[in-house]
Amino acid sequence: MNKFVALAAGAMMATAAQAQETVVWWDFLGGGDGVRMKQLISEFNEAHEGEIAIDATTLEWGVPFYTKVQTSVAVGEAPDVMTYHASRIPLAVQQGVLDEITPADWEAMGFGEEDFAPAIWNAVTGPDGKTYGVPLDTHPIVLYYNKDILGAAGQLDENGLPIGLGSGEDFTAMLQALADSGEVTFPLGSVTADGNFMFRTIYSLMGQQGGELMTDGEFLAGDNAEKLTNALTVLQDWTNAGLQSTYTDYPATVALFTSGEAAMMINGVWEVPTMTDLHADGKLFEWGAVELPMIFDQPATYSDSHVFAIPAGSSQDPEKRAAVLEVMSSILQESLFWATAGHIPAYNAVTNSDEFKMMEPNATYSSLTANMIYDPQSPLAGVAGPMFDVMSTYFVPVLNGEMDPAEAVEEIAYELNDL
Amino acid sequence: MIRNTKRETLIAYILIAPFVAIYALIFVYPTIDMFRMSFTDSPLIVMPNGQPPEFVGLENYTRLASDRRFDTAFWNTAYFVLLTVIPGTIVALGIALGISRLSGRLQALVLALFFLPYILPVSVVYRVWDWTLNFQFGIAMHVFDMIGIDRVPVFKVTGWFMPAVALVTIWWTAGFSILLFLAGIRAIPQEIYEAASLDNATRWTTFRRVTWPLLWPVTALVLTIQLILQLKIFDQVYLFSTGGRPNDNLVLVYYVFQRAFQNDHGGRAAAIAVVLFLIVIVVSVLNFQLMRLAEKKQ
Repeated sequence: MNKFVALAAGAMMATAAQAQETVVWWDFLGGGDGVRMKQLISEFNEAHEGEIAIDATTLEWGVPFYTKVQTSVAVGEAPDVMTYHASRIPLAVQQGVLDEITPADWEAMGFGEEDFAPAIWNAVTGPDGKTYGVPLDTHPIVLYYNKDILGAAGQLDENGLPIGLGSGEDFTAMLQALADSGEVTFPLGSVTADGNFMFRTIYSLMGQQGGELMTDGEFLAGDNAEKLTNALTVLQDWTNAGLQSTYTDYPATVALFTSGEAAMMINGVWEVPTMTDLHADGKLFEWGAVELPMIFDQPATYSDSHVFAIPAGSSQDPEKRAAVLEVMSSILQESLFWATAGHIPAYNAVTNSDEFKMMEPNATYSSLTANMIYDPQSPLAGVAGPMFDVMSTYFVPVLNGEMDPAEAVEEIAYELNDL
Repeated sequence: MIRNTKRETLIAYILIAPFVAIYALIFVYPTIDMFRMSFTDSPLIVMPNGQPPEFVGLENYTRLASDRRFDTAFWNTAYFVLLTVIPGTIVALGIALGISRLSGRLQALVLALFFLPYILPVSVVYRVWDWTLNFQFGIAMHVFDMIGIDRVPVFKVTGWFMPAVALVTIWWTAGFSILLFLAGIRAIPQEIYEAASLDNATRWTTFRRVTWPLLWPVTALVLTIQLILQLKIFDQVYLFSTGGRPNDNLVLVYYVFQRAFQNDHGGRAAAIAVVLFLIVIVVSVLNFQLMRLAEKKQ
């Protein structure tokens, strides 16, 4: 009799397990944001106990991730859903790696074009006009600053914001004042050893002049070359005047800033958790983060987005599809918590909420969403893409004063058009 | 006993069959496929739903002639080989001769110290040297400051990059060559040295007339191994130049990687790989012939 009950119970559990849909998830979130995503996932799993379970794996960021995705799609072993960079979508569409997010999918999730900033929506739209990603966030670069040092040097206004953000001259004057104060080794910590990273700053400065990297499939056409030269000249002048750190790689830049050797730093919002955590432990000065200074005629900031994407051929079964859509929409609804990783949520309902508007430092810099520029939509663009390598090769010598900006731009234009 | 040669041959075939099968599957087939791919415009991976690649004839090869990045990669590889193969062999020989003069535990200890870097994975080698030579925080830079020389951003300046990576590579891989040389030195009969010292031969003469010629087969082996290994250089260059100036520091394998994994140009990457394959074959054959010639002369 007991045996019979056990069997029956076993059978019941088996059917329950069958009803539960497992969603295989891949991401590349290895830093402070990864910790926060894991929490969101476990909360989702608790709330959907017995219905949907996310089986998440975190993989190596960059080329390894994207190569693995491509291989897995080719052999039919891709996950059900994955994170992706919006800037990589054009290449992914050309490779046939992504499945379309259909209008029916959007409807099922309850989102649409009007729920996201136009720049973000544009970035997830492929060359064929179809959408290939559900935007989770936007992660621009911002200007981090050391309030203690800037305050002591008289460079803060009454709201505690840096004073020299209005023009190129103002910003340079602020850097000079910081250098003259003798408080810091470098007024600006700059990732000058990593041209890949500096692309973000330099592209922003091009955007501030209304410049574009790619027009009608041609790189740096017309006066865009001149605008890139201008951007590089500003940065090289800072180096020549001893206002920014030279030959500094990414970790060293963060270390220069957090140790107080550099008063300011231009870096991605993903470093916000680093600062928040250090500050909470009492190991960091008072700090803040603001939108990039307007060096040229108009504000513009480079940004990219983390998006959710469905690999081609995955999640075709209607029940699986429904589960995946539920996963994406739930995480988006909960993306206020994701903002503690520094990112600005893509979903307008979250950024318009009162809670987000109270959230610092995000609220201070989230004004920049109106001035965001994304990578050119080309299969050559995107994080860890070939365009980055060309640029990086010439940015490093220019930023450290080894090469003339105009000469570098000529070489860059030649090599980009040669890709 | 009459041996059944037919049967023995059959058994031999059966015994080597697993190896041949695996070798064919993971080496011969991909190699042939690489040659085929190099004549197409194939992406890195052909998607089941995608377009099949088209044959483009020799286009992938002819365009290499005017390809600036290929040019950089080719000359950098040649430069790297020049910087590592012969200097690395000389360093290893020198250290091996020194170690052979020691004895007992001390010899084992010193040998272990020189061999240690060889067991490190390349990522660790990269970290160690980055800690040493990082422009902002490297310990060597503090030494530079102390003795009053200007700091040098070693891995970020083109002039310094290849020599520095060559130095790191020699430091990293010398251990194995030292081991080979030591084995060679120990195989030289002691009586010859005794005879030489009876003839009042100086140390230099002993080395030139005894050690060097008798060690020649080992030297030739070390040179050949180094040559093939260094032509295929990738890891160190990739790690030390990430984010820096990758396109100035390109070497051939790195360029294959860029084309295949970043640009998704499988066909063009295959063409470069074929060129490298041919270079390795030609250089190794040349090297082997030269060694034989040198041996005959002696």
